[in-house]
Amino acid sequence: MTRNFAFAATVLVALGGCTATIPTDPDGTLDRVSGGTLRVGVSPSPPWTDLPDGPNGEPAGTEVELVEEFARSIDAEIVWVPGGEEELVGQLEHDELDLVIGGLTAKSPWSSKVALTYRYVSTTGPRGEKELHVMAAPMGENAFLVELERFLLDQDLPA
Amino acid sequence: MSARFGRTELPEEQERALRRAVRLAWLTIAFLVTAVTGVYLAMGSSQAMKAAWMEDMLSFIPPVAFLLAVRRTRRPPTPEHPYGYHRAVGVGHLVAATALLAMGAFMVFDSASGLVKAEHPPVGLIEVGGFTLWSGWLMIAVMAYTAVPPVLLGRAKMPLAEALHDRVLYADADMNKADWMTAVGAIVGILGIGLGLWWADAVAALFISGSILKDGITNLKVAVAALMDARAETYDGRDPHPLVLAIDEQLGAVDWVEEARSRVRDQGHVFHVESFVVPRPGYHPTLEDLRLAREHVVDLDWKVDDMVVIPVEELPDRMLPGVKEQAGSHDAG
Repeated sequence: MTRNFAFAATVLVALGGCTATIPTDPDGTLDRVSGGTLRVGVSPSPPWTDLPDGPNGEPAGTEVELVEEFARSIDAEIVWVPGGEEELVGQLEHDELDLVIGGLTAKSPWSSKVALTYRYVSTTGPRGEKELHVMAAPMGENAFLVELERFLLDQDLPA
Repeated sequence: MSARFGRTELPEEQERALRRAVRLAWLTIAFLVTAVTGVYLAMGSSQAMKAAWMEDMLSFIPPVAFLLAVRRTRRPPTPEHPYGYHRAVGVGHLVAATALLAMGAFMVFDSASGLVKAEHPPVGLIEVGGFTLWSGWLMIAVMAYTAVPPVLLGRAKMPLAEALHDRVLYADADMNKADWMTAVGAIVGILGIGLGLWWADAVAALFISGSILKDGITNLKVAVAALMDARAETYDGRDPHPLVLAIDEQLGAVDWVEEARSRVRDQGHVFHVESFVVPRPGYHPTLEDLRLAREHVVDLDWKVDDMVVIPVEELPDRMLPGVKEQAGSHDAG
């Protein structure tokens, strides 16, 4: 038992050494979107995200600009999918989206369904409480998550 | 520190063992405080880390139960508790075993459902002192820290558990000794996540929970058997205690004794002995004979103190089950 266990551990470490990219995506999201298309769900929540010309217009807002910048950094084309937060989270869960934005905070109730990023910026909410802003990525696509988080942290936003 | 369990005085070796065991129990608690804090801060959304954390939390129970039980068993017997307070050890053992069993069952269910629902655990970046790194590395570092001390503590406690005949201490030492597997299991799970094998984490969690459940079942069996007045067994519950046979032989060696048989139960630390002796035909033992016979046996071991010697015409099968068959097989042999 003990020996098998040590063996399994060694094999895993050896495998880690070979692939050398830790973490890796189980479903290969980062590989697919890099140089491809990034499907982003936007739920309006000004000033973070907004749809000034209605659901068929171009989205705007600080988070939208951040995502555009991120997409450029991995050479991806963005396909915007406007919608309500719950609907978009559902689509993210079912691999129909790669990212959801809409003024989400670290307190978001969706944390059991989607991966919330590192709290990349903090602001003071309407009732004086601290709000830590996050974006939502697919569960367990850790290479993609880490790439996005690294980008957000590099922006030197007031975290 | 008075070197007593109830009214049983401890020999020097046991006294030293007890003092060391108490120190080790406090040391275990101190280590666990650092471990649960570290693991909690690093665990993120890894199932295996959560399971390892739960196990660390549960690991508080045996040393605490040991310390409480030792305090209790020191009390001398009272009119309300003529046998003393030794059973506190059994109660502590039962409580610890039940906690392990319940938590093990819950965690097996929890990690199995994570596996069935194919939950992909997200593990992202963390900032530590200005450095940004994948938080999986931090988790692995913390688990590596929690792997080593329990093994050393468990090894140190094991001989003390034997010297003191303490089941709670034994259960604690046994769990400590196996604890590195939890840490390695969690590390394998996290490495699995890192490699994109989402299921590795849940499988590692399942492995850890299974080992907790197994600890619970084994300990519960031994604890319940002891409280049900099973015959005295060795501290690990594997064999009948050699003292049981030694007591009968010691009594048999008394010159006026024709035949002797005892029933011995484990009160926790010390034994409670009822010896039935059949005198040689025509010999009527005096009160002094009985006292000397008792003292002759009590000298055998510190654990034997609470002992009664009962002269009988023949060994009572009702109180010594199996004695007739054994006598029969002796004749045949």
